[in-house]
Amino acid sequence: MTAQDELTGDDALAAEYVLGVLAPDERQDVVERIARDRGFARLVDDWEARLGGLSEEYAEATPPAHIKTAVDRRLFEDAAQPPSGLWESLAAWRTIAGVLAALLVLLVVVPVLRPTFVPEAPRLVALLDSENSAVSYLAIYEPQTGSVALSRVGAGEQANRDFELWVINKDEAPVSIGVIPPGEAVRVALGDALRGHVRAGANLAISLEPKGGSPTGRPTGPVVAMGELRNI
Amino acid sequence: MTGQTELRTEENDVDERQRQRAAASELSRLIQRIALGDRAAFDRLYARTSAKLFGVCLRILNDRSEAEEVLQDTFIKIWRRADGYAVTDLSPITWLVAVARHQAIDRLRRRKPHTAELADAVTIVDERQPDPEALAIATGEIQMLDRCLGELEENRAAAVRGAYLDGLSYAELARRHEVPLNTMRTWLRRSLMKLKDCLRR
Repeated sequence: MTAQDELTGDDALAAEYVLGVLAPDERQDVVERIARDRGFARLVDDWEARLGGLSEEYAEATPPAHIKTAVDRRLFEDAAQPPSGLWESLAAWRTIAGVLAALLVLLVVVPVLRPTFVPEAPRLVALLDSENSAVSYLAIYEPQTGSVALSRVGAGEQANRDFELWVINKDEAPVSIGVIPPGEAVRVALGDALRGHVRAGANLAISLEPKGGSPTGRPTGPVVAMGELRNI
Repeated sequence: MTGQTELRTEENDVDERQRQRAAASELSRLIQRIALGDRAAFDRLYARTSAKLFGVCLRILNDRSEAEEVLQDTFIKIWRRADGYAVTDLSPITWLVAVARHQAIDRLRRRKPHTAELADAVTIVDERQPDPEALAIATGEIQMLDRCLGELEENRAAAVRGAYLDGLSYAELARRHEVPLNTMRTWLRRSLMKLKDCLRR
């Protein structure tokens, strides 16, 4: 028997965790290790992928309808309140939506009607909002200048936090466009590399981040508004 | 005639692979939107995958009310940890099943020993074969894993399946196969090594 016959070390630990045979305290240690050790987390993922085919043997069973209601209640009624008064009632939010529609006409349709303003490429527009928050922006991307104009319609900035704007294409990780400057009507210029990501069908999203933006390059705070870019 | 039949089967395989890829990409997109706080995407993901994940919880816990609680915890975790999906290379269904399995196994291990013996036998309400499109695990990968498990000695393969599918601990596996605990540990570690080598081929 050589050492190669038997799985050892971290690889064995990762495999036994995935298989589910470890004791509770060992499982807890593994979960903590996964969170801080990316290399080890990859070993675990490799085993999830290797053994994942077995899960085809789990027969489907429709859960009772009250389960989803309970999940929603636990997620969105009890615990989902943010630390400040940013969130507001749905009723208030509906009113804002009405104002937005009017603004859309002013900001988008009116300039197009002016004969001196003839865009070469179609502009893109997105209404950024969320059922969970009162933050909302109207975003217009202008290909000529490569910039996103943002008109704030909902709640304003939070002390000590920044709104960061992201573009998300299907099956891609969010790409940061940058921190949204304070103010009701602002403009964010995009570099050449970023412009390629902004297209019809992509989503724009706003996350709440520490001052200066996400330290990790990915959204770290809650997403407070989101919307799909459309041709106009 | 035979040639035509084969051709048609190949076409069906290609169709099925395409459907699986499309379904996987749809699930993937839903999880990414959930990471951004999209509740409509969460509702759709629940509709698409809750039966599968409830099946996972039921099989491991063998207790309906516990399985219902763990299914809730599973979807709460999916909502909160959806951003973690972006950094894995796992297929969406593999990631989702992993969340449910580990949640169920943790619950199982926290049970007092006698509770397990008293657990009600559960009748799975829906005996349908899992829908391959919702599953979206590539057929080729499943066949390869089956082949590699087939290369193990029968009781070794049964131990791997028992651990993965039913959440059996080392102690339970040792009892079931009537071998000392350390022997069971060696069985599994050798079997896992063989599986790893075989899946690489």
